[in-house]
Amino acid sequence: MQSRRAGMNVMTPYVYVLPCVILLGVFVYIPLVANFYYSAFSFSALSPTKSFVGLQNYKTLVSDPVVGTALINNIWYCIISVAIQVLLALVIASLLEDKLFSKISTVLRTTYFLPVLISMTVVALLFSFVYHPKIGLINAALKFFGMKNPPAWTGDPKTAIFSAIIMSQWHSTGYTTMLFIVAIQGISEDLYEAAEIDGANRLQRFWHITVPQVREMMFVTMVTTVTGAFLVFNDVYILTQGGPGNASTTLAVYMYRNAFNLDKMGYASTIAVVMLIICMALAIIQNTAFRSGKGD
Amino acid sequence: MKKLALALALVLCLTACSLAFADQVTVKFFHRWPNEPKLSYLNGLIAEFEAANPDIKIETDQVLNDSYKEKIRVLVSTDDIPDVFMSWSGSFATNLVKSGRVQEWDEILAADPEFKDSIVESQWPPFQINGKQYGVPWSMDGKAFFYNKDLFNELGLEVPTTLNGLYELCEALKAAGYEEPISAGFSAPWAVSHYLGTICQRVVDPEILAKDYAGEGDFTDPGYIEALNIFKKLGEYMTKDPNSVDHEFARNAFIFGESPMVYLQLGECKYLRDDIEFDYGFFNFPAVEGGKGDPGQLTGAPEGMMISNVAAPEVQEAAIKFVKFIISQHGGYEMTKQTGELSCVKGALDETNLDAKQLEAVDLILKSTEPALWQDNVTDAVIADAFMAGGQLLLTGDKTAEDVMKDVQAAAASIK
Repeated sequence: MQSRRAGMNVMTPYVYVLPCVILLGVFVYIPLVANFYYSAFSFSALSPTKSFVGLQNYKTLVSDPVVGTALINNIWYCIISVAIQVLLALVIASLLEDKLFSKISTVLRTTYFLPVLISMTVVALLFSFVYHPKIGLINAALKFFGMKNPPAWTGDPKTAIFSAIIMSQWHSTGYTTMLFIVAIQGISEDLYEAAEIDGANRLQRFWHITVPQVREMMFVTMVTTVTGAFLVFNDVYILTQGGPGNASTTLAVYMYRNAFNLDKMGYASTIAVVMLIICMALAIIQNTAFRSGKGD
Repeated sequence: MKKLALALALVLCLTACSLAFADQVTVKFFHRWPNEPKLSYLNGLIAEFEAANPDIKIETDQVLNDSYKEKIRVLVSTDDIPDVFMSWSGSFATNLVKSGRVQEWDEILAADPEFKDSIVESQWPPFQINGKQYGVPWSMDGKAFFYNKDLFNELGLEVPTTLNGLYELCEALKAAGYEEPISAGFSAPWAVSHYLGTICQRVVDPEILAKDYAGEGDFTDPGYIEALNIFKKLGEYMTKDPNSVDHEFARNAFIFGESPMVYLQLGECKYLRDDIEFDYGFFNFPAVEGGKGDPGQLTGAPEGMMISNVAAPEVQEAAIKFVKFIISQHGGYEMTKQTGELSCVKGALDETNLDAKQLEAVDLILKSTEPALWQDNVTDAVIADAFMAGGQLLLTGDKTAEDVMKDVQAAAASIK
């Protein structure tokens, strides 16, 4: 009896985690490994056979100018998203939590958060009207203020990617702001009172109390924002399809187009491998920099 | 769970059916028309066919365009290949045929010359691959400049027959206050390929063009540079910033009289019917002076039907019967009447199932020497993509015609 119960105890936890392990294995880890394998082949979705090309896909990738464009676009996405969705969002959050704004903070909080609730697909379709050179809101406003030749936004290779980035900030900043608000509400009021008694002004309180206290949350938002920026697909694909030309292509859009429009499955896998490496490297760097989980 | 139950019910039902009609032949038909009114048109025709042939049962499956493209390409390479299915012409058809499971029609047509003659001749070649007939054309289309007839009459302007004439026409329209004589929207790149396909066809030597499109050439003919520069020059008369405007918007700008011309598919006539308040006409892309291509060709490709060559002989026989029924004068008449798609069966179209504009459109197609296939269908996707991406950047001035052709040449080299 005793031994049987002990046997059950040994097995029980494994039985509980089994479904999760199977699902993760089938949908995450096996495809991940298979992707490395596929990247060494050249094949189309139609062909029953794959031809082995070794590292040829990686060589093509290094000399492919579109990959360069895509990477630069992703880096812009990353820089601007971190500046706005992490740094600016933290500033907004601390302002909203400040006594100065206590009367209207609920309204503002809701306002900032509302875009998050709209699906990215809908947002991109809406923004295609906002950016429209003929009937768009932005150019109508610019023309009203006397601008003769307002930009073509999504139609100009110089502005297309920034059109997508700005839209993405509008959509997502409310979410990170909300996360920071939650984090700030968790900071003990005593700290602020003590600082106030010591004569610290608002800026000093922000810098010496708020920022260090929300470090963990900064880490979380930083990781999601940075990885999000390197994986961004929806926003760009729906707004510009990566065009004009390939000017606003990101790595994910280029991967998708190679796989499903150009039928270069092997090359698409190679791009996916590169994206995986970039995201993992960035996550590790950030993990080390923030020494997450080892809170003071 | 619900789905499982439904599937089970279906299986049971099918088994019951096959028990009841032990001698019945079942033909699997896969098409891309799950939307109305096209679905009821097909279902009505299928019911008629089954009533006339009680020994044949048609089992249909249908998904919309893009999913259809994905699904049929996978199905063709497996043993689940449907017995009858729809296909576009050009590289799409070529890819399906590569599977080795698509039936040739040459012998079937030789045995039934009457059927062969019942279809507009110019629509057969787009389904010929390596000299063999692999599909039967079903519906036809063409791309033409639509123009505001009322305005042209008012200003005393004529339809141009040459490219220089088109430039002069655009200048005249500009002088009359139409800053953007040609409405255009290229945010979806396929719209670029419709222009480039036509211009390349008009300018480049047809033999060189065919070889290059087939992936055997290297796209070094100077005609391509000329063609791209023509597109760039036309761009000066088009909607400003066309890359941020979509095709539907461009069409509407024409319908509401903002631009007096637009390059549309003849099948789009049905979108103009309700809102347009002026009389319009259409003309084929004009001849290019010194161009080596036949100016009588009209860009646009038929859609058609294919059958599998791995089906059992009695199933295949039934499949052929079914195809001939759908693509008959009766089937074609009903298709055009109910869906607006232009049937390519001779005598299927008249004033009882078409409005005056559509009749004019049919006339334009029948007058053309042969269809010039869509550029993004006729050549490999990688090459077509280089043309489309390049075309967009050519208009913004970020690339020259020479730069674009370098990209196209690199794309062509990459798939050799």
